[in-house]
Amino acid sequence: MTPTPLTHAGQIAKEAKGKPYKPQYYPGNSLPAKNRKKYLDPSYKLQKLRTISDDDLVRIMGHRVPGQAYPSTHPPLEETGEPACPIREMVTATPGAKAGDRIRYIQFTDSVYFAPVTPYVRAWMYHTRWRSTDVGVLSGRVPLEMRERDLEKVAKELVETEIFDPARSAIRGATVHGHALRLDENGLMFDAYRRYLFNKKTGEVEYVKDQVGVPLDKPIPVGKPMKEDMLRKITSEWRIDGHKYRDDKEAIDWVKRIHMLRTIAGFDPEGIKGI
Amino acid sequence: MRKYKDLINLHDDRGRLIASEVPIQTVSPLTNPAIQKIINFVKQCVAVNLEGIQNALATGAVGGKYCSLRGRSVKKDLVANAGAIADALKENLQVTAKDDTEVRVLKGGKHLLVLVPSKRLAAGVEYTTSATATAAALCHVLIDKFKIDMWDADLVHAAVWGRYPQTMEMLGGNVASLLSVPQQNEGMGYALRNIMAAHTAMITRKNAMNAAALSSILEQAAMWEMGDAMGNFERFHLLGLAYQGLNADNLVYSIVKENAKTGTLGDVVKSTVQRAIEDDVIRPLRKEPSGFTTYTTNDMNKWNAYAAAGLMAGTMVTCGSARAMQHTPSVFIYFDDLLERETGLPGVDFGRVAGTGVEMSFFSHSIYGGGNPAVFAGNHIVTRHSKGFTIPCVSAAVALDAGTTIYTPEKLSGVIGEVLSEVPELREPLKYVNEAAAKIKGDF
Repeated sequence: MTPTPLTHAGQIAKEAKGKPYKPQYYPGNSLPAKNRKKYLDPSYKLQKLRTISDDDLVRIMGHRVPGQAYPSTHPPLEETGEPACPIREMVTATPGAKAGDRIRYIQFTDSVYFAPVTPYVRAWMYHTRWRSTDVGVLSGRVPLEMRERDLEKVAKELVETEIFDPARSAIRGATVHGHALRLDENGLMFDAYRRYLFNKKTGEVEYVKDQVGVPLDKPIPVGKPMKEDMLRKITSEWRIDGHKYRDDKEAIDWVKRIHMLRTIAGFDPEGIKGI
Repeated sequence: MRKYKDLINLHDDRGRLIASEVPIQTVSPLTNPAIQKIINFVKQCVAVNLEGIQNALATGAVGGKYCSLRGRSVKKDLVANAGAIADALKENLQVTAKDDTEVRVLKGGKHLLVLVPSKRLAAGVEYTTSATATAAALCHVLIDKFKIDMWDADLVHAAVWGRYPQTMEMLGGNVASLLSVPQQNEGMGYALRNIMAAHTAMITRKNAMNAAALSSILEQAAMWEMGDAMGNFERFHLLGLAYQGLNADNLVYSIVKENAKTGTLGDVVKSTVQRAIEDDVIRPLRKEPSGFTTYTTNDMNKWNAYAAAGLMAGTMVTCGSARAMQHTPSVFIYFDDLLERETGLPGVDFGRVAGTGVEMSFFSHSIYGGGNPAVFAGNHIVTRHSKGFTIPCVSAAVALDAGTTIYTPEKLSGVIGEVLSEVPELREPLKYVNEAAAKIKGDF
């Protein structure tokens, strides 16, 4: 799937009278900050590293059987008609919404050991790259909820590209614990359900259970784990044994600035002038 | 008295200009006659479910779930006699012959819309007068009209009032006000914030712009009542109401339009920032070593209003494209996150909207129970922290939902939303508030 073409603001910036506006996405001068900026920027095309068939992805998510028609939660919009509302008239519904698809989810856990993306980066990039995403960040998991056929398209990009490492990112619908645990002897993130195993013969990680732990009929390979130095290069995580957050003065200053401005504005918004 | 120099352009729900360069105070709940009328309607209007009363009397099922008095039955055709009941009810409620009392028969007699005279409210200190007066008058009318004896009068009371006074509110009753009983308000001045998003969406017949406007009027008017819109913060709330709720300067509408076909929430953030730069609300402060430009402002309140309008547009684009309400908390958190990272300036309500989004996402996604966004109100334990800036977005999202929830807004709002949608000022608040503002602009 090609990323959403860049951007309405970009177009407006082109036309703006002498004040071009280029979105900047993320502050910071360290490698993780730059990687964050890259992942958030939809004009950067995520590198495709592996191919997972549509059916296999449907199997891993476990919401429907491959080939099964999409069950619906309401009739198609064309059949029901819509209330008179200027916003509904303007805003194009996604294909899933038009068809009345159920809302379904895919959920990821990302290891603290240099996984390509951190939970929050997932949320931000979902919202900058795709339309109609409902994402939330919890301590060890990031669910993404969308209309079913829209979700499947996005999920494919999430699993096939550089932001997914078979060893340190995982698709986990339930019992997600493991993001902060040591890696096993094959470098895999701990999973109490053992949804995926390392195949020593092929060197690939294979899913043997779907995202909630129901055994699959046959293993689904999702590719080889990335090399450690590669992960350190593409990660968006600051770590004390990698790129230290404390070394990124610009990122820290940004946090301090937001904290300061929120606090002062909460006391007297009129008191802030040009700081 | 002109307190603030801000001028706004008024637009309707389709982006058409209604009046230009109108002083911001014209949309204040303290001065705008239409907003005051809306607030009065909220206090005065009561919905009566005559069909519900008829069924309760016939079956003995009164006072809410699982309560049924076997062997008790009074079979009377209330719906067919709705006209006569309405006339008698009006006569009972009226204080003077030509006061503002109104009783309207709706849906072939199934429902009544009652406007309790303002003189009755003026004679008390609680807004509950409307519900109590209507319920009591209705009992008298039914007993009188249908010759019900004293042995069945208690059933009439239970069919109308529900389980009250065993419960705090009229549980299972068939007389409903938009306002909850005062004991259910979280604190002082919360009454107007205790109205579910389901109600505002249904009253405005799922027009997202009007749902946002009505909700914003109720939430922000409550800020004056709560003591928030005072001193340095009055302008903060005025601008918030104007830009987020009332489509001032056509900001919400135009940002939605820009992103309507393919835009993401990230695109809405960019449109918002672009507009703030163009309108000189924010400006570059300095270039950081990475090349990141930190922005600053001389007018934090105006920046907040722009951010709040962007948040509304982001909700409309995200929930609108999904035709689903559940995305609202995600928009609250990540719109603000992205906006802060884009500019180096605080998000809507200086962080409180993002915080509210965190809590609301837990309680609206079956993690810690709760319910779908339609049940939320500004009085809700997890959404009250933002001072008027979240619930308008929730109401808009509920209006845009195509039917993804088990408990639909229709089911949650019940008779009250449907009945109050008959009041033009409540159904189309943008139109009436704009017209009223244009009319009084010379006063400032």
